[in-house]
Amino acid sequence: MSLQAFSASRALSIGVELELQLVNTHDYDLVGAAEDLLRLVALGDKPGEIKPEMTDSMIEVSTGVCDNYGMLLEQLVGLRDTVAEAARKLNIGICGGGTHPFQDWGERRIVDRPRFHHLSDLYGYLAKQFTVFGQHVHVGCPGADVALYLLHGLSRYIPHLIALSAASPFVQGHDTGFQSARLNSVFAFPLSGRAPFVETWNDFGAYFEKMTGTGVVASMKDFYWDIRPKPEFGTVEVRVMDTPLSLERAAAITAYIQALARYLVVERPIQPAEDDYLVYTFNRFQACRFGYAGTYVDPETHWHCPIADEIDASLTRIEQHAIELGVDPVLGRLRQAVREGRNGAAWLRERHAAEGNLPEVVMAQCTRWMEGEVV
Amino acid sequence: MESPSSLSLWPAFLPLPAFDPFLGFALALVFTALVGEVLARRATLPRVSGYALAGLLLGPLVTGWFSAVELERYRGLVDLALALLLFELGLRLDLRWFRANPWLLVASAAEAALAFLLSLGALLAFGMDWSPALLLAAIALGTSPAVVMRVTAELRAEGQVTSRLLALCALNVAYSVILFTLLLNLSRGAAGAGWLQALWQPFYLVAGSLLVALLVAGAFTLLRRLFNPASEQGVVVIFGLLLGALAILAMLKLPPLLAPLLAGVLVKLRDPRPQLWARHFGSLGGVLVVALFMFSGAALYIGHFGTALLLSAAVVVARSLGKLGGVLACGRASGLSTAKSVALGLALLPLSGVALLLAYEAQLADPALGAQVLPVVACLVAVFGVLGPVVTQRALIHVQENRKGEEA
Repeated sequence: MSLQAFSASRALSIGVELELQLVNTHDYDLVGAAEDLLRLVALGDKPGEIKPEMTDSMIEVSTGVCDNYGMLLEQLVGLRDTVAEAARKLNIGICGGGTHPFQDWGERRIVDRPRFHHLSDLYGYLAKQFTVFGQHVHVGCPGADVALYLLHGLSRYIPHLIALSAASPFVQGHDTGFQSARLNSVFAFPLSGRAPFVETWNDFGAYFEKMTGTGVVASMKDFYWDIRPKPEFGTVEVRVMDTPLSLERAAAITAYIQALARYLVVERPIQPAEDDYLVYTFNRFQACRFGYAGTYVDPETHWHCPIADEIDASLTRIEQHAIELGVDPVLGRLRQAVREGRNGAAWLRERHAAEGNLPEVVMAQCTRWMEGEVV
Repeated sequence: MESPSSLSLWPAFLPLPAFDPFLGFALALVFTALVGEVLARRATLPRVSGYALAGLLLGPLVTGWFSAVELERYRGLVDLALALLLFELGLRLDLRWFRANPWLLVASAAEAALAFLLSLGALLAFGMDWSPALLLAAIALGTSPAVVMRVTAELRAEGQVTSRLLALCALNVAYSVILFTLLLNLSRGAAGAGWLQALWQPFYLVAGSLLVALLVAGAFTLLRRLFNPASEQGVVVIFGLLLGALAILAMLKLPPLLAPLLAGVLVKLRDPRPQLWARHFGSLGGVLVVALFMFSGAALYIGHFGTALLLSAAVVVARSLGKLGGVLACGRASGLSTAKSVALGLALLPLSGVALLLAYEAQLADPALGAQVLPVVACLVAVFGVLGPVVTQRALIHVQENRKGEEA
């Protein structure tokens, strides 16, 4: 099977997918309500999509193609209000966060769709353990080779994005010590991790054909990479983020990615190399485990510094591009959050210390997601 | 020379043992718990079905281990068990849900009204008089809160059918108790006890229960600041609170059903935080539940057969149709698929302790009327108390709302 052609899309257009948790309002455990919710949601002429996911206590909302931050936020708010209204009719809660803090994975049920049954047969319990919730961001690319440049360029910012979005410190009722434990579930899949180091679409096609020739993969969907090209959309898809606790943070992270992408594509500041990836898994682990406080190793200079400092420096580097895109106020607030050490994981641990039990933490998560916060 | 006696070996300084009826109760409790456990393990049936079945076996119908008189002796236990379960049920009912989805109230009214009207029609068609038929129909419109709470807890069920089951059950118990009181007093009013008195009674029931509920809810909210309800002391505090409420209700001559339910609803309305202490009720609550179902099974005796059998068979059919029809009619509009609506209608079928307590109340108020009502209710409870829990359990498993036990 050969790789499909890369359909070009408008440069720097953006789109977001958010996987969301469905919980009951009695004990705030996950609840199998995806089918009920999907029957009730009526988007009408609002843009976007609402879809089922692997297990029946997850749904995915996705925006259409957006030109800018304002359009994206508006679409996300529309989606949020639609699902929140349906959820209230069902007396269930919807919340962000990369993991549910105390669900028992053995109690999850695979959604009755051929693709999900296939994945469940293939991966066994990994499929049920994959009840984790991520944010995926698409960035439009005018061509395939630009997309691969962007992929390798953005891979240097994976730790930044993990630290900013981290919202999964609790798993199966315990504090894992990680800020994003969700990614540990993703690593279990055989085709997770980084994309191969190829710089042209031709080379990528050759790699893809070799892989399909082994019979290991059938389509691009079988690669669970942190960043992957999405030829049918003409985008690069960044997949390392936890679903943040608020829609506003999800939109701000998307604005950050868009500004990073503009900086990379316009300035072409780096020359990607295979050796960039020597520090990749170390950096990613540091971000998952320690968040802003983790160590970042620069792939070129091998200089060590806290991830927070490197995020701060990156925001300075891309400032002009943020201004061009009109997102400098958004990124200014993000910089403030980094300086104060605020992210989802920190908030969840604070709530847990205050409430003393995880169900009440999930209840607070639902309020935060469904009612939003002032931007 | 003294005649040899079998007791000659008994030391003279010890008093002769007299049989303590409490020993009979204790043995019955052990037997009942065993039956529930065996059914649950061997046939994966709900434990409460086993308890009710054991009650049938121990009751006057089969072995006669218990008589109706003895049942009255342990009435306090039954009341406390029900009060605990109703308080917990109330805590799970969030009134804000009805504002977001008013169709639920329509569904509730429809299933209760249809169950009432069809049961009434069936009883009249089989020649029963209006007074007992009305009372029976009022009893039949309810769903057993005890069965629903225990079966959902055993399955750790969660989902749309489960939450609607609990909500509709809480509502129809309230309808049933209020309507029953109204009708009982109207029939006595018609019999010459005074119309003013007849209409005053239901009002007194609601207002009095609400007042006691406010007291309990206020006290619970205050005490929750001092005690963790999930701790051992917390459980003792809640038991004490409800025992106090039952005592006050008895002093006010109010039935012990409505006030605990309302108290739970008020607590949830004021404080929507998850109330997870109930699952820590532990052994003491468990003993009460076993006793409750044992008594519900033991209410049936041989004198109940005859016309009661035919009448109750008619009500079984009419009531089932009413519940299913009412829920199905409003299913789509309230956001439930047809398959789940059927499961909900079936899950609402159990009938148990509350129905019996109401029937005993009719007998206390008017023995002649009670003699007509009680046998039918006893037959209904035998059917819906043993088989009802099984239907509820299977329905919830079928729609995959159980977090524990087999996958459908």
